[in-house]
Amino acid sequence: MLVQDAEARSPLPGSPHRSGSSGRGCYCFFDQEKQKAVLNELVGKLTDVCWDKCITSTPGSKLSSSESSCLTYCAQRFLETSSLILRRFQNLQ
Amino acid sequence: MDPFSSPPPSGSGLGVSNEVMMGQVKQQLAQAYAEEFFGTVRDKCFSKCVTKPSSSLSGGESSCISRCVERYIEATGIISRAVISSLPR
Repeated sequence: MLVQDAEARSPLPGSPHRSGSSGRGCYCFFDQEKQKAVLNELVGKLTDVCWDKCITSTPGSKLSSSESSCLTYCAQRFLETSSLILRRFQNLQ
Repeated sequence: MDPFSSPPPSGSGLGVSNEVMMGQVKQQLAQAYAEEFFGTVRDKCFSKCVTKPSSSLSGGESSCISRCVERYIEATGIISRAVISSLPR
């Protein structure tokens, strides 16, 4: 359910990152945790919104294939909508 | 829950307290997430399943709520996969 660490690496906060893969002084742990928190929040919000749009009847013993597709489409269209609106805002400037 | 992976050994005397701190941060984030998730599922399933509140939860309402929780968890997985595969590389 939670977005998990992609790698085990969590350099000590405040110490410079020696391996150089990020190429900057490292607060990697906080960056990673913040990214995961942002993703988890997005997933939570999207599930909330898309549940209301897609699950219109009383919950059954499994999700129907149309309900599952609706959920996937809903997430994809939401993200597209987000990009579209962002581009519109950028064009206004 | 996220298995806590230890950082590489450090020569610094601060090593232990940093590990503990990182563990606490992760735990608090996980806790906050769990509380929010609980609240959302509770609200959704109450609206779906308890349409006419009476003097107690009926058997039908209880099983609806159980199914609803499972379906919501399933839905979260579907959305999660859709979001992660949409992430830019």
